[in-house]
Amino acid sequence: MLTELEKARYARQLQLDGIGLAGQQKLKEASVLIVGAGGLGCPLALYLAAAGVGKIGIIDNDRVSESNLHRQILYTMEDVGRYKVDAALERIQTLNPHISIEPMIDRLSEENAARLIAEYDLVLDGCDNFATRYLINDVCVKLNKVYIYGSVAEFTGQVSVFNHQGGPTYRCLYPEETSCNRQHDSLGVLGMLPGLIAMLQATETVKIICDLDDSLSGVVLVVDLRIGRFDKFTLVRQRD
Amino acid sequence: MQVTVKLFASFRNDRFSKQDFEFEEGTTIEQVLNFFQIPLGEVGVTMINGRHRQMHDTLSENDVIGIFPLIGGG
Repeated sequence: MLTELEKARYARQLQLDGIGLAGQQKLKEASVLIVGAGGLGCPLALYLAAAGVGKIGIIDNDRVSESNLHRQILYTMEDVGRYKVDAALERIQTLNPHISIEPMIDRLSEENAARLIAEYDLVLDGCDNFATRYLINDVCVKLNKVYIYGSVAEFTGQVSVFNHQGGPTYRCLYPEETSCNRQHDSLGVLGMLPGLIAMLQATETVKIICDLDDSLSGVVLVVDLRIGRFDKFTLVRQRD
Repeated sequence: MQVTVKLFASFRNDRFSKQDFEFEEGTTIEQVLNFFQIPLGEVGVTMINGRHRQMHDTLSENDVIGIFPLIGGG
C-alpha cells in the first residue's frame, strides 16, 4: 500500500486517468533492469525513479569521464573517475528515498544475463552495442520478459517495445547479427537525443506497467532531430 | 515505375532526403541500395510503405521506400 508520504509525492501522477492509486501501486510493485548507465540509462533511471517504480536495477562497469557529461545527466564533475552505478545510486536515492536501487558494477554477459533478467519484470535498453542488445533480446524471449528498446547515433534515435504480448523482437528488426563497421562509441551524439529517446522508453515502461493504452510493440518510432522529423514504421514478428 | 525514396540520418549526407525515381518493375530493395551506392553493411532497416521489409523484397508502382542506417549507440 502507498504511504501518505507517497500519496503526497505522486499527487499529480495519481490524478491521471489510467494511473490513479491502482496504477501507482503497480509502479511501486514493479521492477526494471536498466542495462547501461550512459546517455540512455541516466534519464531512464531518473524518470522511472521519479515516477515511483519500486525496484530499479542498474548494471554498468564503466567509470564516469568528463566526455560523458554532455549527455549523461546523472553525473557531475565531482563524479569523474567514479563507477557510474555508484554515482547513480547516490543521486537517485536523493531524488526518491521510497524506492529500491540495485547497482551492479558488471557487464551483462552470457554468464549472468538469465539470472539477472529473471529477477526483474522489464528490461530497459541503455546499452551501446549490438551484441548486448541481441543478448538482452534472446534472454527476454526465453524468459518472456518485455524489452524496452532504445538506440541513438548522431542526431537519430529509435524506440520500440519488443517481446510484448507476442509482438516482434529485436531480431525482427535486425534478423542477422551485425557488427557494424562504424564504431558507435566514436560517433558523435547530440546530448539531447538520448534524453529524448530515454524519456520515450520510460513512458512506454510506465504505460506497460499500468496497462495504459497501446504500447510501441509492433512499431518502431524513429526520431531525426536534425530535421525535426518523427516517423513510425510497422514491424511484424518474424520468428522466435 | 515511379518510386519515392526516403533516406534517413547519415544516408542523406551528399544525397537527398526524399525524391522520386524511375525503376524497372521487379527492382529489389538491394538493387535500390546499390543504385545509390549505399554500403549494405551500414544499412539497418529498410521499409516499404511504412512496413519493415527485407533486401530481397521487390518494389511496385508508387511505393515509398525508407532506408535507415544501423543505429546502435546508447
